[in-house]
Order: sequence, then structure tokens, then C-alpha cells
Amino acid sequence: MTEQIAIPTLRPTMRMLSDDQIKEIHHTSLDILARTGIVMKNARARQLLLDAGAWESGGRVMIPSHLVMDAIAAAPSRIPLHNRLGELTMPLEAGKVFFGPGSDCIFTLDVETGERRKATAADIQNIARLCDGLQQIDFTMSMGNPSDVPAMDIYLHEFISMIRGSVKPTCYTANNRADMEDIYAIACAEAGGETALRERPFLILYAESISPLLYPDESVDKLLFCAEKGIPVTYPPSPNTGGGGPITLAGALALGNAECLAGLVLTQLVRRGTPFLYGMNTAALDMKSAIVSYGAPEWPTGMAAWSDIARFYDLPIWGAAGATDSKVVDAQAGAEAAISIMTAFLTRCNLVHDVGYIEYGTTSAMEMLVVCDEIIRDVRFVMDGVEVGERTLAREAIHRANPGGGFLADDHTLKNWKWAQWRPDLISRTRYDTWVEKGSLDMTARANARARKILAEHEVAPLSAAAEDAIAEVLAKRAA
Amino acid sequence: MANLMEKIASNLYDGEEDEVAELVQKALDQGMDPQDVLQDGLLAGMDEVGKDFKAGDLYVPEVLIAARAMHAGMNVLRPFLAEGGGTGMGKCVVATVEGDLHDIGKNLVKMMLEGAGFEMIDLGVDAKAETFIDAVREHRPKLVGMSALLTTTMVNMKATIEALQEAGLRDSVKVMVGGAPVTAAFAAEIGADGHAPDAASAVDLARALIA
Repeated sequence: MTEQIAIPTLRPTMRMLSDDQIKEIHHTSLDILARTGIVMKNARARQLLLDAGAWESGGRVMIPSHLVMDAIAAAPSRIPLHNRLGELTMPLEAGKVFFGPGSDCIFTLDVETGERRKATAADIQNIARLCDGLQQIDFTMSMGNPSDVPAMDIYLHEFISMIRGSVKPTCYTANNRADMEDIYAIACAEAGGETALRERPFLILYAESISPLLYPDESVDKLLFCAEKGIPVTYPPSPNTGGGGPITLAGALALGNAECLAGLVLTQLVRRGTPFLYGMNTAALDMKSAIVSYGAPEWPTGMAAWSDIARFYDLPIWGAAGATDSKVVDAQAGAEAAISIMTAFLTRCNLVHDVGYIEYGTTSAMEMLVVCDEIIRDVRFVMDGVEVGERTLAREAIHRANPGGGFLADDHTLKNWKWAQWRPDLISRTRYDTWVEKGSLDMTARANARARKILAEHEVAPLSAAAEDAIAEVLAKRAA
Repeated sequence: MANLMEKIASNLYDGEEDEVAELVQKALDQGMDPQDVLQDGLLAGMDEVGKDFKAGDLYVPEVLIAARAMHAGMNVLRPFLAEGGGTGMGKCVVATVEGDLHDIGKNLVKMMLEGAGFEMIDLGVDAKAETFIDAVREHRPKLVGMSALLTTTMVNMKATIEALQEAGLRDSVKVMVGGAPVTAAFAAEIGADGHAPDAASAVDLARALIA
């Protein structure tokens, strides 16, 4: 046979919403913005909106749909995130899925002792270094508030610890404009100037409004700062069902969409083309414990839905997966992580955060990150689909096989086994006796050992001298 | 009579607000002591709700619906009660502290305490120390509850306690604190009287603090 045109492989995807459902939610969101309105605590943002054609009524700012549609049209459909070495490692664009941890936990599980304790700046840097060493983790987030620095400096220290610990792109948080200015100065020093940072951004701000419909002064100010500088920002609200959002997912999505779009409008009014990552968080407010559930099925279900909405707008997509409500890294943790990671892949969410959260986002766990790294690699195999072609149909191998004799020693097996089969790493398939000989370790214990090994061995390219100088300058200024 | 009290309590437990209002009226019509109706009917019902919620047998919405029934009963009963129509549990001032606009957790605690019979004075969110002080001067509460969701704002709990101290009001109230980043150790460190990790525990704590 001459070489024939290959049959394209179907890669599984999922849709949660029909076209009609997307439009109905979209229209409801436009209605929320123009009829219900938002409460805007930032004076400059309020004026920006009013000058552009919004109006005030009953203490609310009403945003007409033409502002929203203009902003959607003006915002880029992709955000080319780089690592801090200037390499394009994370283009947030259609079809691509990237995973990383979450921000600002209260506690961390000590990888040496297992103790649940407050995190330090050194912990943040170690977790970043672990993320740097994990192949399936694409970016860093802080995973903790450092308790050993002044309260007003925690976000600055988070940023410094993250970029010292990893070269991967970072999704950072900040307290206010002062934090933004200092972080920006350090980032420019590392990138080689403002233009270089805009061309090859290695950072994206995560800020948020408060659902429902409340836009705090400092939160909005951070958003405006990013737009002024033209650097990437994500502004996902958290209309958690029954808490910040209606108890029903459709209502939560309509509200969250409206809230996110209001943030988008502001960025595009300040600077058209500001890279804006669209999304929200739809956890569930648990009706027994009143915790905000990170393992709830409402979250991945919502994520698949707002990913469909984002595609309707042609905007890059923010999401979350790999988190659990379990207090330890156990079967519940594995189940909740697998469901959300699978969904993130299927729905092609671009930036997927919160990997490694336990205890409903209150605590970070290195073991959870390592377990999720394996789950991500595992699900990636499923996403590859089934290649159907001459090399995979094994026509000749089947023809020559001895009935009942198997394919183990067949040339086709020996030639293709390496790519055709998925090979576990952290997941154990060893026989029972071998497992006992190696200490009868469960997956969490093996993940702990792996985390320690990476921390002991993995090296990260240091920050540039210019960046370290900028850090020293910023810290000296704060200490003064 | 006891039967009627049990009926009030069980209807309250089930969140039947119209029935509770009717039954309270019926009890008053029969000449029962309003204080007994309060204690053996309404508060006894809410007590049961609180116990079962804490045990994990009830969900938050069921507690809130029961609390509504409690309100319906109180609306009928209030004119007949002494001491300005209160339950006798006393007043509690609550707010989310300065710099923090997060409302939901504080509201849940407020509703739970209200259900337990406390008269709640809600100062909203982003409440400055002076706002707390003014409210304590005006309402003379037994309890002050402070909420914070952010690590950067929970330091304002300490500032508020210090301001209460300076205003000479600290000893007149018990201070309880809560919110995601707040730990018992932090509460002790800033000189609060208690910390509750969740809304149900907040009710127990409030009761213990005023006992």
C-alpha cells in the first residue's frame, strides 16, 4: 500500500452547555449588568465606567451591553505566558491545558513531620521548587501565606519566594497597588525591562471581586494596575452555590459571568488588548459544615460550563482542579482530584489552579501535588484518544499470531510498547511480595518520599542579579 | 399545657412558621406565662435544632427555616415579655472588621445566634474600631463578635480589642472571633475571650461566655 492519508485521531472533549444554554446565560448576565448593576468601591473605576456610557442608579453602576461586547471583542483570545527565562512554555490558548497549585492557604502539611502548621516564606519557596521539579505542573502559585513576615508584606514575600523557587510562570496575588508596584519592579528587572515583560510575561495576577456584585477598592485597583501596564490578569469571582452565588448552578454561572465581564470591561477601558483570563469559581457552600467545598462536583460541572461560555467569547479560560476537602491525602483526595482533573482536560480549560489543596483550600500538601502530578499524567493518556492507522491496527501482527499464544514477544509489541502503553510511576503495580519488601507504602507515603527526593535533588536556575538587586531595594524600602 | 409547649417546639423544629405563630397565640389565649412559652416552647425547640445541627443531623437551610419560625413566634410573644421584649439572652454586636468586605460567614453566625435567642446588632462589613465602640456604648451588649476572612485584615481584630480597652469598655463585654485564618492560638494572642471554628460552635461559645 502506498502511504495513505492518516485518519485524524478524535481527542475526547466534553461540552456541558448547548448553544442555546450559553446564549441564555449570556443574556441573563447582560441583564444583571444593565438592570441589577454592580457596587463599585473604586472611584476611578466607577468614573471610567460612567465616562464610557455606564450610568448610576440606586447606588449601583449599570453597565450597558455594548460596553461588554466591545470589551469581549477587544480582549486577546490568547495569553502567551513565558517562564522567567523568556521561553514560551504556557500559551493560554484554545485546546491547551496547563496545571498548577493554588494561592494563599492558611496552613501547610510539613513534609518532614506531617504536622499541619502555618506556612513560612521558606515553605513557599520549597513548594515552588517542588512544582518546578514536577513535570506535569506548569506554573506556580503561593500555596500559603507566610507567617514569618510582616502581615502587610505577605504577598510580596510570596512572589519573591515563588520566583526564587521556580522558573515556571507564576500566578500571584497581591494586597494592594503598593504590592503591585513592588512586584512589577522585580518582574521587570528579571525580564529585562517593561517592554520585555509585556512581550514575554511570566506572571499573571489573580485578583477577585466579592460575589455577589461587590467590587472592593483595592481589588479593583490591582486590576487597573495590570491594565495600565498591559500585563496579564485574571479576575474570577466566586459565586459559590448557596454562598456567594445562587444555590443553582445556572444562576451562579449567570452571576459569575456578569461579575467577570465587569472586570473585563474595566481592563479594556484602561488599555484595549490587556490580556485577561476569563473564568470563575463555582464551589459549593456545604450545607452541613458551611465550608466552601473544593471537592464538590458543582465545581468541575461549573468549570465545564464556563469553559463553553469562554469559547463563545473566544477568551482564554481559568479553572480549578486537583483539590480536595479531605483533611489528609487519602482515597477521598484521590477521587476528588481525579474527577476534577479529568474534567479540566475534557473541557480544555487553559489554566487550571488549586492542584495540591487539601482541607477545602485551607491547607497545602506537597504529597497532594505529587499525587496529582501522576493523575494528570494518567489522564493525559486518556486525552490522547485511540490512534487508528496501520501501525496501531496491527493487521500483520494479528495475522501471524498463534491463536492463544499472545503478542508479548511479537515484533509489533517490542517495537511499539514504549509509546503505546502508559507506564505508572507513583502508582504501584508491583506484586504483593515486592510491595511488602519495599515497606508496604501506600500512595501518600510514596508521594511524600518523592517530594522529599525532589526537594533534595532538584536545582533551579537562580534569579538574575538585577532581580535580586530589585528585591533587596524593595525590601529595604519597606523596612525603612 | 406541656403538650402545647411540645407542639410549639416541634413545629418550630420543622420550620412551620404559621403554625408556631398560631400556637404561641393559643398559649397566650389560654393564659400561659409568656416567659414559659419562650423557654419551654420557642427556645426549647431551637435548642433541639442546635443540638441536631451540631450532631450533623440537620443542614444549614433547615436551621434557618427553624429560625424563621422562631421569629414568627417571637413576633407574637414580644409585646407580652418583660425587659423590652427580649429573650433575656442579651445583646451581641457582630461585624466583619475594618478592611474586609466579606459578609457571608458573619451573617451565618449572626443567624445562628439569633436562632439561639440572642438579640443581634449587625454592624455590617469593614467596621472600624470606633464603629464597634460606638455600638457597645449605645447597645451595652454582653458579647462582641468579630469576623475576618483575610490574613491581612485579621490584625484589625487586635486593634479593635485594644481600642475597646482604651475606651474602658473591654471588661463590659466578652469578645469572640472567627473566620478562615483565625485560630484559637491567634484569639488567645490578641486577648479575645474565645474563638469558634464554625457557626454551630459559635452558639455554644456565646452561651458559655455569658454563663
